[in-house]
Amino acid sequence: MSRYLVPVGLIVFCGLTYWQSTQFDRVPPILLRGMQPADFPQMVLLLIVGLCAILLFQAWRGGPPKPTVDDGPEDIAQAMSPSVWKTMGLFIIFAAIAPIDLFLGLGVFALCLTAVWGERRIWALLLVSTIAPLLIFFLFDQVFEIRFPRGLLTNLWYG
Amino acid sequence: MEDLIAGLVAISDPQLLVILFAATLAGVIIGALPGLNATTGAALLLPFTITMDPIPAIAVLTTIYCSATFAGAITAILINTPGTSASATTCLDGYPMAQRGEAGRALGMATVSSTFGGIVSVVCLMAAAPMMARMAYNFAPPEYFALTVFGLSMLATIGDGSPIKNLIAGALGVLAATVGKDLLTTVERFTFGMSEMTEGIGFVPVMIGLFGISELLVQADRLSVERQQVKMDAIKLPSLADYKKVWKTILRSSGIGTFIGILPAEGATVASMIGYNEARRWSKTPEEFGKGAIEGIAGSEAANNAATGGAMVPTLALGIPGSPTAAVILAGLMIHGLQPGPTMFTQQAEFAYAIFWSMMFVNVLFIFVGLFGAKLFARITFVPIPVLWPIVFTFSIVGAYALDQSFLDVWIAIGAGFLGYFMRRFGYSVVPLAIGLILGGMLEKRLGQSLIMLDDQWWLMLTRPLCIVFFALTFLALFGPAIWRRLFTQRDPLKSMGE
Repeated sequence: MSRYLVPVGLIVFCGLTYWQSTQFDRVPPILLRGMQPADFPQMVLLLIVGLCAILLFQAWRGGPPKPTVDDGPEDIAQAMSPSVWKTMGLFIIFAAIAPIDLFLGLGVFALCLTAVWGERRIWALLLVSTIAPLLIFFLFDQVFEIRFPRGLLTNLWYG
Repeated sequence: MEDLIAGLVAISDPQLLVILFAATLAGVIIGALPGLNATTGAALLLPFTITMDPIPAIAVLTTIYCSATFAGAITAILINTPGTSASATTCLDGYPMAQRGEAGRALGMATVSSTFGGIVSVVCLMAAAPMMARMAYNFAPPEYFALTVFGLSMLATIGDGSPIKNLIAGALGVLAATVGKDLLTTVERFTFGMSEMTEGIGFVPVMIGLFGISELLVQADRLSVERQQVKMDAIKLPSLADYKKVWKTILRSSGIGTFIGILPAEGATVASMIGYNEARRWSKTPEEFGKGAIEGIAGSEAANNAATGGAMVPTLALGIPGSPTAAVILAGLMIHGLQPGPTMFTQQAEFAYAIFWSMMFVNVLFIFVGLFGAKLFARITFVPIPVLWPIVFTFSIVGAYALDQSFLDVWIAIGAGFLGYFMRRFGYSVVPLAIGLILGGMLEKRLGQSLIMLDDQWWLMLTRPLCIVFFALTFLALFGPAIWRRLFTQRDPLKSMGE
């Protein structure tokens, strides 16, 4: 099923993007040098649609062999493991906390991820949730002089 | 010659040598860590190089490239898990040797072969890159456009996935490169009114997402994989008998690796496979391959390290990445405002030669790192995945934020990570997407310039000899394998007789 689903999904995406590209401003012919701004993206979109059509044709004819994950033998139809779902769920938690404080979000995400992946040792949890983010923060702040967005925890440092 | 010496002087700075030594260690650790490879390592360390001067910044990235590729052999031999995909063929003979108590000998051969392959390729790089750049000096926009099309067409052959899927991924990358202000007309495209998008989608967050965060999700699927290390006392340099047995293999694989590396988009993985196969084909004892043949290790390791130097030839001379990691290095060059191509060897010759010398230095350093550190680096492989990857994630997010200090880049990195994960799940390689994103801007710019130059008569490109050559190569890259298969099948007498 996924052999049809992905190319069809891509064709729909290309259709929507093509429509979006028709909304671009156009350069008056007298000022135009080369292409209109929409020309190149539209060419690429048509190329993608053409390639998807070939994929669909191949799927309909039954060849070539089923694709695999690029560096593993897993079948694409294989269900995602629960740990992947849980990991993806943690990204929602990160997205909710990061706007409050980036490093709080990173710490909570790292703590939860380590726990979800089966690590229970206190030193490991402390390392990933507190020590590593702190070291990375000071490395970027002091050595690379990167200013992080102000937040609940970063304000303690920035004052 | 002056530039060669100026480059050598530039990297002779003690501070830079210390940085390169640290980068070598970092690269070896990255190559030995589960799930991390040269491309991911270079993408993750790219933000660290932002504040550096161009020479140390790019030298660090090339060092990571060389050393992570080398380190793949350590885990391949000791735990039968290639640290990088380029070392997959090293497992075939390295692990059987380790099982029969010859881990030190296998690692010694891997170190020597890697060093030799790397040095040969850097010498070729020093000779070939300026030559290629001189050739390209007279290229006009149509030739550059045709060359970029050829570079993109080579994406079809990346990995062992479907060529059509690779091309779709590459085209999606080119499409992503059109986001932002059009360079020729300054009209905004696909920005949805967001001012942060005017400059387009940044390479760094996309690279970090595609190679780092997507790998985190892949690792979530592999938590149950167990790794067992074989005992090793000390690394042993090859004996005279070993050298006699493998010197031809090392030479051949070094040549193969350098040549494969020079081809756009083909990297160390393909080189090691061909190097290994050729070692078996020319061997007097091919039946030993797969059971612990030392020639197998030499063939694979010399080729994959030679590919690193080879891959830098088109990257620096033409601005077309020779491998996925070279694509990250190319992004690094662009971030530092350096223009890869013929002008690099006229206007920034000292920089180019300094990079060559730094690669040479790193390849020599492998002998010492391999001899004294292999045992220690092998232990790094056993860092628990639940501890390693949350730290990698923190690095990824902070790195994505650091370049432009924009929160949007954090979301772009996460979005690219999810996209990369699902692409890999559905059999689409993420490498063409990354390379498409890098080359997309160049492709459009060169097409636009060509149209202006040719007065909108694009078909005049087909009257220019070099354009015809590049388009013919593009045709071969896209349809050559299919034509070859068809010809081969038709001429197979057994098949034609229905047997």
